[in-house]
This record gives sequence, C-alpha cells and structure tokens, in this order.
Amino acid sequence: MGFTLKFNIIAVQPTISMKINAIILGIFVSLIPIVSVSQTTFPVNGIPDKRSSVYVFTNATLHSDYQTVVENAMLIIKNGKVEYAGAAIEIPKNAIVRNLAGQHIYPSFIDPYTEYGMPESGPKGDKNKGPQITSKTRGAYSWNEALKPEFEAHTVFDINSEKANEFRKAGFGTVLSLRRDGIARGTATMVMLGEGPVHEQVITERAAACYSFDKGSSQQEYPTSEMGAIALLRQSFLDADWYQAGGNKAETNFSLEAWNKNKSLPQLFETNDKLQALRASKTGSEFKVNYIIKGSGDEYQRAADLKAAGNKFILPLKFPASLNVSDPYDAINVSLEELKHWEMAPANPSLLYKEGIEFAFTSYGLKEVSEFLPQLRKAVLYGLPKDIALKACTYTPASYFGVATTTAALKKGYAANFIITNGDIFKSSVIITENWVAGKPYIIKNTQVADIRGIYKINAGKLAGNILTITGGQPYDLKGTLKEDTNSTKVSVSYSENILQLRFELRTAANKGVWSLSGYATAKGFKGTGLNNESASIAWDATRTGADTTTIPVDTAKIETPEWGQLTYPNKAYGFKQFPVAETVLFKNVTIWTNETEGIITHGDVLISEGKIQQVGKNLAARNAKIVDGTGKHLTAGIIDEHSHIAVSNNVNECSHAVTSEVRIGDLLDCDDINIYRQLSGGVTMAQLLHGSCNPIGGQSAIIKLRWGQSPENLKMKGAPGFIKFALGENVKQSNWGDDFRIRYPQTRMGVEQVYIDAFTRAKEYEASLKSYQPKAGTIPPRIDLRLETLVEIMNKKRNITCHSYQQGEITMLMRVADSLGFKINTFTHILEGYKVADKMKAHGVGASSFSDWWGYKYEVIEAIPYNGAILHQSGVTVAYNSDDAEMARRLNQEAAKAVKYGNVSEEEALKFVTLNPAKLLHIDDKVGSIKVGKDADVVLWNDHPLSVYAKVLATYIDGICYYSVERDAQLQKEIAAERARIIKKMTDEVAKGGGEVKQPSFRINKLHHCMDDEAH
Amino acid sequence: MKKYIIAILTLSLPLIASAQKPSHQNNKRILYMGATAHIGNGETIANSAIGIENGKFKLIANATLIRIDRSAYDTVIDISGKHVYPGLIALNTSIGLNEIEAVRATNDYNETGNLNPSVRSVIAYNTDSKVTPTVRSNGILYAQVVPQGGLISGQSSVVSLDGWNYEDAVYKADGAIHLNWPSMRIYKAWWAEPEEKQVQHTGESIQRIHHLFADAKAYASQSGQPEKNLHLESMRGLFNGTKKLFVHCDYIKEIIAAVAFCKENGIKMVLVGGTDAWMATELLKANDVPVVLMGTHNLPSRDDEDVDMPYKLPFLLKQGGIKFAIAAGGFWQVRNLPFQAGTGAGYGLTKEEILTATTLTAAEILDIDKTTGTLQEGKDASMLISSGDIFDMKSNSIEKAILNGREIDLDNVQNQLYNKFMDKYGFDRP
Repeated sequence: MGFTLKFNIIAVQPTISMKINAIILGIFVSLIPIVSVSQTTFPVNGIPDKRSSVYVFTNATLHSDYQTVVENAMLIIKNGKVEYAGAAIEIPKNAIVRNLAGQHIYPSFIDPYTEYGMPESGPKGDKNKGPQITSKTRGAYSWNEALKPEFEAHTVFDINSEKANEFRKAGFGTVLSLRRDGIARGTATMVMLGEGPVHEQVITERAAACYSFDKGSSQQEYPTSEMGAIALLRQSFLDADWYQAGGNKAETNFSLEAWNKNKSLPQLFETNDKLQALRASKTGSEFKVNYIIKGSGDEYQRAADLKAAGNKFILPLKFPASLNVSDPYDAINVSLEELKHWEMAPANPSLLYKEGIEFAFTSYGLKEVSEFLPQLRKAVLYGLPKDIALKACTYTPASYFGVATTTAALKKGYAANFIITNGDIFKSSVIITENWVAGKPYIIKNTQVADIRGIYKINAGKLAGNILTITGGQPYDLKGTLKEDTNSTKVSVSYSENILQLRFELRTAANKGVWSLSGYATAKGFKGTGLNNESASIAWDATRTGADTTTIPVDTAKIETPEWGQLTYPNKAYGFKQFPVAETVLFKNVTIWTNETEGIITHGDVLISEGKIQQVGKNLAARNAKIVDGTGKHLTAGIIDEHSHIAVSNNVNECSHAVTSEVRIGDLLDCDDINIYRQLSGGVTMAQLLHGSCNPIGGQSAIIKLRWGQSPENLKMKGAPGFIKFALGENVKQSNWGDDFRIRYPQTRMGVEQVYIDAFTRAKEYEASLKSYQPKAGTIPPRIDLRLETLVEIMNKKRNITCHSYQQGEITMLMRVADSLGFKINTFTHILEGYKVADKMKAHGVGASSFSDWWGYKYEVIEAIPYNGAILHQSGVTVAYNSDDAEMARRLNQEAAKAVKYGNVSEEEALKFVTLNPAKLLHIDDKVGSIKVGKDADVVLWNDHPLSVYAKVLATYIDGICYYSVERDAQLQKEIAAERARIIKKMTDEVAKGGGEVKQPSFRINKLHHCMDDEAH
Repeated sequence: MKKYIIAILTLSLPLIASAQKPSHQNNKRILYMGATAHIGNGETIANSAIGIENGKFKLIANATLIRIDRSAYDTVIDISGKHVYPGLIALNTSIGLNEIEAVRATNDYNETGNLNPSVRSVIAYNTDSKVTPTVRSNGILYAQVVPQGGLISGQSSVVSLDGWNYEDAVYKADGAIHLNWPSMRIYKAWWAEPEEKQVQHTGESIQRIHHLFADAKAYASQSGQPEKNLHLESMRGLFNGTKKLFVHCDYIKEIIAAVAFCKENGIKMVLVGGTDAWMATELLKANDVPVVLMGTHNLPSRDDEDVDMPYKLPFLLKQGGIKFAIAAGGFWQVRNLPFQAGTGAGYGLTKEEILTATTLTAAEILDIDKTTGTLQEGKDASMLISSGDIFDMKSNSIEKAILNGREIDLDNVQNQLYNKFMDKYGFDRP
C-alpha cells in the first residue's frame, strides 16, 4: 500500500515574546542546526540520502516514560534523537509538524530475549553412532562442546528485515539478540530494529552473558543430565578463577578466557520452569552471581521462594492454550494442574508484581510476535497495573542491560524510539499506527487520509437514488450501508491513495448478486466505474448529501475481571491451601511399635508436639492436645525408603562418564511430584533419593522428608550426612545398552575395579597437591576439581557410599578396594547375592538395603533369593528393604512382611527393615526411625497390624505435621472434583466463545525412575 | 571316612539337582479332615472333609454335619487348624516364555509383526523354567501363558504348573486370542511420537483390525475349504464361540470401542487391564464382559485420581456388578498374585471374594470352571494346604499343594540356595 504523509511545512516568524520564552527554556539554542557531517566507514552505492529533518509531534498524549503522561504534549526529534519532550513549546523553524490530537506516543518496547538477526543454529548430528566422549570443536577451547562462552552474538548479527518488521509492528524498537545454544552461550548484543545499515543498529556489542541447563547442539556425552549441567557450570566458575589466578600459564584456553571476560556483563539464564529458576538462582549465588532469569510463566507457583532468591526476571507472555475438554472422556486426561495453570498463568505477572519481584517481558515463546500486545493486555486484565506493564516493556529491560539512560523513555538526548497509537494502548480496539526507530518512521497503519464519512446518494446502473452511508470510528477505518427500498445492505468500504472501493451483495430479485465499484473524488462526491450483479461494466457516481450522523455504539460490554481458584502448594491435586503446621496430638490406647527396648506396647499412649515425640507410655494426658483414639489401631515410626528416585526432575542418571561424583541429586529436587503425596498415603516419611546406576561412581544423594507442598530446599533433611551412589554390575558395564555402547570404560567387571583404584589414586594425589601447595609468586595454584573433592570426602569419611550391587564377587572386590584405601562401604543396595558373603559384609561393617523378593529381570540376579534379607539379618548385618520404585514404596510395610514369610524374621524386626534400619544405614537413627522421646515426630497411624496386607494408613505425620490423613484425603477428593468441574466449564465456555488457540488434550506421562533404567539419554 | 563322604554326598544331592521333578499320579484314595475349606465360590466350611480319588474331588463336606465314611479311603490325614484353598489361577502371564528379562535368548513372548493370531504360546512354554517352582510354592497352580506385543499377539493356553513337557502341562490349549487395542489417547511423554502421528497411527491400526476381522469372519463362514490362510484359520473359533478374544486396554475410550467392536463381530470378549473399567460398569455389565484386573499394586493412572484407586478398583467393579478376576502380570512376579489380590481385601472386598477372583472367576473366564476353580465334588483335585491366610504375606505358608490329584514338589531353586547358605553359616532353618 502506498502512503503519503501529510506534513504541514510551517515557517513561522517568531514573535519577540515567543523568542524570550524559548530562550528562557533553553530550547532555542539547541535547535540551532549544528552543521556537522556524520561520517561512516562504509561506501554508499548511489547518492547518499542522509536526512536531518526536525519532526515535531503536537497535541499527543505523550508517555515520556512508563509512569509519566503529558497531555497535549510536544515531541521534537532530530537526527534519530529526542530533542524535546513535554508541554507544548514554540515550534522550531523548518520543522515537519504532525498534529497527533487524540493519539498517544509511547517509548517503543524493548524485547530482552530474542534470536533476532542470529544465524540458524547448526543441525544436530547423527546420535545413533555411539557415544562421543571428547569435544570436536577445533582450537584451544573448552573440553566440553556445551561451553561456548567465546561466542559473541554481535560478531554474527545481521539485519533480518522480515523479522524486524514483525517486531516493529508489535511495538518493539530494540531487542537483545542471543544464540540459544549451549550451557554457556557466550554474549548477547543489544540492537535496534531499523533497516540498514547494520552498523547503525548495534547499540551494545556485548550486552549480556547467557547460560542455560541445555547443552544444545553439543553431541558430546557429558552432561546427559541437568545435574550434570549444574556441575559443569560450577566447575567452570572454579576453572575460570583458576585460569585467572595463574592457570593460564599452564594452558591456553580461549573459553576460560572468554568466561572471565564475560564476568563483568549482566548474566542471563534461561529456564523452563519455576524449579529450574530456583536451581539457576542457587547455582549462581554460590559464585556470587545474581542471574537475570528468563522464566517460563509458572513462577507464581513458587513466588515467595523466588522472591527470597532475589533474582530479576524476564517473563514470557505465552499463556497456555485452551483445551477441547467438551468430551468428558478427553477431559479426564487433563490434570487439575494443567487446568489450574491454564486459569492462572495470565495472572503470573500480577502475582509476581504483588510479591515484589522485578520483571521485564519478552515476546519469546509466542507463535507470532503480534500476539505480544494482546497478551500484555491480558496480563493487565488479570491485575497487572498498566504502568508496571509498560515498565516491563521499556524501562526494566533497558535497565537490565545498561541502556536505561539512552532508550526506553522519551527525554532529551534519548534515542527517538517510539510508537504512535490511536488511543490508550491497553484498550483492545487501539492499534499501533507508527513505529519510529532511531528517528525513522515505519508506518503500520496509514492514518493520514481525508475524511470521507458522510451520506451519499448513489446512481449505478439499475440502482438509482439509493442512499449510501459511509461511516466508521476513524477516517481510515470505514464501513458502509446501502439502502435499497427498505432493505439495508452492508457495504465494504476502502479508501486509499484517493481511490474509493465499494463492494456489496444485494438480495432483491432484480439486483441480486455482488456489486463492486471503484471511483475517485469529485467536488460533489465520487465518480467511477464498476461491475454490477451481472458482471456488466457500469458507470456510477455518488453525491454527498450530508454528514454521517451515525453514532458509533460504544462497546459497553462489561469486561469481567477474571477470577481464579486458590493457589495451592503444589498447585495441583492434593496441594495445600495453607502450609500445615505442627500439631500437639495425643494418641490414646494404641498399639505402639516402638522399635526400642520397650518393644510393642499395647494400649499405650504417645504424645507429640512441637515436631517431636514428647512422651511414650500409658494413661498420658496433655492439655490442648488433639486426642486421637487409637483403639484397635497401630502406631509406628514413619517408613524410610533407603533407595528411591521420586521427586527428582528429568533425570536421575549422569551416564556420560565412569565417575561423576560431582553431580548432586539434591540439585534436581521436584517438590511437585505427586508420588510424594501417594507415598505419604503409604506411610513413607523419608527417602534417600539416589543417583542412578549407570556408572561405577555416580552422583551424590539427597535425603529428604516427604514434606508435601514445601520448596525443594525444604524437603532436605537438615543435618543429614552426605551420601553418594556407587554401582557395580551390568548397568555400569552397559551390558544391556546395545551394540553402540561398547566404548566407555569399563565394559567388564575387571575394568570396574580399575576405575575405582584409579579414581581414588587420583583423589589421593589431588588432596596431597592441595595440602602441599604454598602460594608464592610464579606458582600455579592447584585447580579445584569437584569430582575429586567428593572422592576426598569419601576417603576422609565425610561422605558415605551406597553401592548398587548384585553379584558376590564384585561386592567383595569393592570392600577390598575400600579396605586398601582405608575407608568403608556404608551400604550395599539391592545386594541380592549378599547372602553369599554375609560374613564378609559383617566383618567389613557394611549394611544391606535390599528388595524383598525381586529377581528374574537380568542375568546377574539369577541367584537372587527372597531369603536374602533373613540370612543377612541373622548374620548381624543391618538390613533394610527399599523400593527403588514409586509404586512399591507406598506399600513397603507389605515388603517388610515378606521377611516374615521368607526366613521367619520376627514381626518386630521385620518392621524395622523399613523404619529403624534404614535410619541406621543413613546415620539418622538419633533423630528418626523409632518411637522414642526426643525423636522427630515422624509417625504413622494404621488401621490394622502394620505388616498385614489388609492394613491401611490413617494418618502420616512428619515433624508433628499431619501431611496425610484419610479424612483430609476424602475432603480433598471432593474439592478436586468440584474444582475440576468449575474450570472445565470455564474452559468449555471459553472455547465456545472462540478466538483463542484450542488444543486437543493429551495424556501426560511423567517418567518414573528406577536405578536399573538403562538410561543412556 | 567313607561314611562321612557318603553323608555329604547325600546331603548335597538335592542341592545339585535343582530342577523339581514333576510328580506322578497318585491313585490312592485320600481323605483330608478338619481344615477350614475355602471353596472358592464364596463359601467356607469350618470343619471340612475333603476326599480325593482318581485325581478328582470325591467328597467336599462339612464334617460337623455329615458322618464321613473313613473306610472309603486308603489314607486319612488330619489337617485341622489348616486352611484349604483351590489352587490359584494366574491369568495373563508370560510364565515359561521368559526366563531372564534382559537376556534376549530367554525371551519367547513377542513374535515379530503386528498381526499374529496364529502363533501359539503353548509350544514355547518351558516346563523346565527355574521360575515356575517359585511361583507355585506360593499357591499358584495354573497359569494362562500369553504372548505379547503387536496388535494381535497370538493365542494363549492354560497350563498346569507341573509337567514333564508342554503336552503334559497343557490344561486348555489355544482358548483365547489376544488383541492389544490401539491407544486412543494422545500421549505427552518422553517416548511419545508427535501428536498428529499418534492420531494417524491409531486410526490406521483400528482400520487394520476391522479389516482383519471382516476377512476372518467371511473366511469362517465360507462353506467348503477356502484357500488356506493361517491367520484367518486360527480365528475361526472366535466366530463359533469356541475361542474368546482377550482385549488388552485401559483407557475408557478404548474399552468402549473394544466392547462395541466385539459386539459387532459377535465375539466373546474379555477385558484385560481395564484401569478405567470403573467408569464403564454399566456398559460392561450390559454386554456381559468380564474383566481381568492386572493386580492392585499399581499407581493411579492420573495425578488427580484417588491415591487408592488401584486398591479399590476390584471393589468398584464388584459394586458395579461386573465379573472380574485379579491377575498379576509378568512371570517371576506372579508369585505375588495372592498379595495383589489380598490388598483388594483391605479396600472393600471380603477375603472369600478375593479368593473367587483368583480361582473360580479366573476359571470361568478361561472356560475351565467345569474342571477346576473351586473345591467341588467332581472337579480336578487341585488344592492348597496352608497354615495361615494365603493372601497375607505374613501368614502365607503353603505346606502342601495338590494339582490334579498329584501332590507337587514345593521346593525351588531359591529354597535350595537358602538351605545351601544356611548350612554354610551353620544356621538352623526355622
């Protein structure tokens, strides 16, 4: 569409008084053209077209920054910069003046997270060719392909006109461009969205350093897990420090050099969910880095924790699509979690604002950039104040990357980056008509057209003397009606470049059909030619008879303020509306399985309060205690699952290297895992979350209490000792991984022993080198190695080993390796052939954490027997039964009962297999594992003998807090059903209304982990 | 010295011969007196008299009410204080088709290809599996041996878990064909195909099934001998009622589609899995479709569901008036069948109902209820004698098992290893 700006060139002779005013204001001087030739380094083909016109915009509502509004304002720009913004002043000579009465001017938006102008990332290579152990990057760069801090976006940035146009149409003037590839992604660049030359668009070359947990295009094995990515980041911080402190004399490493160079920049981290945001924050804070976090939109679910973490955010405005849930059989596959998030996600910004978290908005993640403004309005509708919304699109992103004093506001000297709208930008009918980038106009909608609205008498062939009314809210937004006898017909009207086009469809017999007419303006009206309903060419004219008096109905439809259900912790089925607190409870007349010398007390009483067991005995009384009648019921210590993989995000295995002692399960806790609640319903109060078993030395464990609803950090048991997973057998040899996996050392039992000896030999040397180092000039300090640090902890008995094991030979081998290095193996887990070496285990002092009766799943369990636990127990080894399985964990009492069936272990001792004995193996039996005064009030109330298949948990307490009870569960089921029904109805109504994106529901399956998973990737 | 060596040899003999020897038919007439008999149909007899002759139950009676003619028996055994149950029947297992999951050479349960109605599991059933004796020592005496994989996995048979060879072990051959109904939900999971692909593949699979059954029906109705097609030939029985179609699916839409499909084709259907069956009780009842529940030791299939849903599912089906059996899939895992069923009794079912769900109803579903499934006169003499409740792990202790009149060896390789190492450490066996 062609376009002409109708500027009025004014040459006013200023009066004396005006002159004085202008001088007083100090404006005039600055408007005297300074003759300076701007220079460029690049030749221009043809005649250079550098213009330095002064533009004056008058009568607009000017938003000079996100919080300042000036009515009837004036904006003066020149040479790409703002000369003046504020109340009307004298208009400078030779200026081009635009009257923007009724229109608004805003600073243009800044998108702090884009891939604008970046080349496409290279294709991912063929992954079916077996593991790639080392980096294939050429040159003295990082050992790991996922670390690319040396990448600099500004060196490859180029203008992409098509994309720039999309961004400009959506109101953006400036963006941060980055390449989303790797864990350390190098630097991002701040650029403007103008058209050529590229040299004039880059504002800040190195505006930020970027990171993520995603290894991107790297084909290298390490890291295979998110905890590996965290470890890699942590090690990189240390390596970079070492490099700076003298390591650069030992090696040349351009990646570490770049890492250090990037330290002074804003640090930007991309995350996929709120838990990743917490992880990124924690990883950074360890090294005193406060990341700006690119969030995902679910941060409201952990707002208080994120506020405490203290990071700034970049938030996407992508809200979940509606789902087609009209079929109840589809609807059942949609979880309350999805429904609640659908309902609440648009409130994410307002909820974070209320929490006091600072954020900027990005269009990243939207299908089309054009959705940005509608989504921004939606966020405002959901309670975000307008000024904060504007701030998040202008000032905040600018402030993140150090350009807040040059852009994001309209003040003297700032970049002339602004948008013009035909009204308040938050009104849904308002459009962006122009976007000026560095003083250059990009017209989105031509508003500078003559006003042709009015009433016309039209003559067009068979139509004679009919009344045509052209109306519309704006001169550039027209529609019409045609009166034909008593019928009124809609007419589509467009008027552009002085050409009027009319199109309508008539229904009366003679004139039935489509008519289209084109014409030009005459003194009286319009004249032209067209096609009638029979496609015959006709001449036509229209004579203006009066002004259009149609009143445009104001949209009075009340916009309802959205409402949403209550946030719960976690924000899904069975979540808590309020965090529960410790209760004072007196269990009366109950059978108490003390696990202490008192044995099983019948008709006993237990008092808990302040999170501890206060009294155990008979005929107890306590004021203010909630009395629980325990008649016919049993009270036991909480079940402790010594081997679990629940509540871990994404992946429990870092399978890349034979030794990965640097990775930590505790970095990946998933406090939202529904299995936490399910296991509470089975009486589980604690679990050791173990790394998987795909390498001889795996990662560090997390010991958690199943505090449903709490944050990841609050799940961890304070003061619990450190543990690490080792593994033996088929998994570490990759026996069942297929023929592509024949490379990683070790592939045999023989190699496994060598891995251990080598790892601990290196750890010894490492420790010695740390101890003997004397800092003095010219020496290279030792490099802190997280992998070896952990092994040193083991040798110094500060970290305990839980070793996955089956076959007796390997079990003995590992005990002998430990003996030779002066430490002990703490626990053999699975240990299905433990019964063959029970005496050796007893002598070594190692415990056993076994399955009750598993076998048959692989060759190395061919001689597993269900009597294993009984023999080990009889031999004096501490025996626990574990689950390694989210399902089995919630009936570990039944598994303990199998020790009675297979081997006649006494019932009292059998129950200890899942309570006191795992506590002993974890060295927390001074705090948990029995019903003893002073221990944590982690207790379970059962309706029957706890080893019976017929027993059911009535209530589970952790630290005296009731996290599960059958009564609350029944109540919650009702609430879940009601809440589901409410949101499903709302969603169905929304889908029926139309407009938004609608998807078919899908059935989410979350991965359940087992340590025997042969997880390569 | 010599004596000493002989003693050692004798002691260690059973340890070396780890495979259990199938027992011979006992032609003696035996009478068991005084136990609590759990009949399998819901009834119990507190002071029972159980007479066995020629491998069949000759007498099942209440000794308190009826005078028992002891002279009609060669042996009378007093088992008062014990509990007697019918031998448990394990549905939908891969017993004998799989020895070690991770060792491919021992996996014989999944034939290549999608449509395999002609393959027969019974000929692959390994009577010499080391796993089977560990299963029957917990009370499971019969198993349905089921092929897996593809759309139509093949034909299953019922075997007695004691036999010299498969011909000896087979109890009912080729009684069912197994169909895995295509998934009708769109999965979002780490392993899932793109959503459009899933929809497309499901559509194609359902078409393939319709096509195959239309052809099979036409083939079966032809007079004379049509050009032989092994697939279609094997499916004849579905259309004359001699074979049942076991449809494996869980999601409600799949259940509805499968029931309609079987009705359309005039096929006797058994639903296997049926996690969502509680939503479809009216439909299942109206169409007389029994359900094989795959245990109770499962997680709820949806986050929002009652955490106890898998435990309550048998009770919900009972309330809905559905005929159901409780199974435990896999092979070595089948030894936990009593406990999978037992868990259901903590959530609404009675102990006799869970017994029915693992004996009589299982037999009815397999069409072997004329000869087994309950302690009833005339049926094959298959029973368990336990010192305690077999459905509770803390009391399950099978002291004797009789299968088709033969007392079977309850020893197994795990027990032998137990003895071997108790002996090594000088521990007394309890």
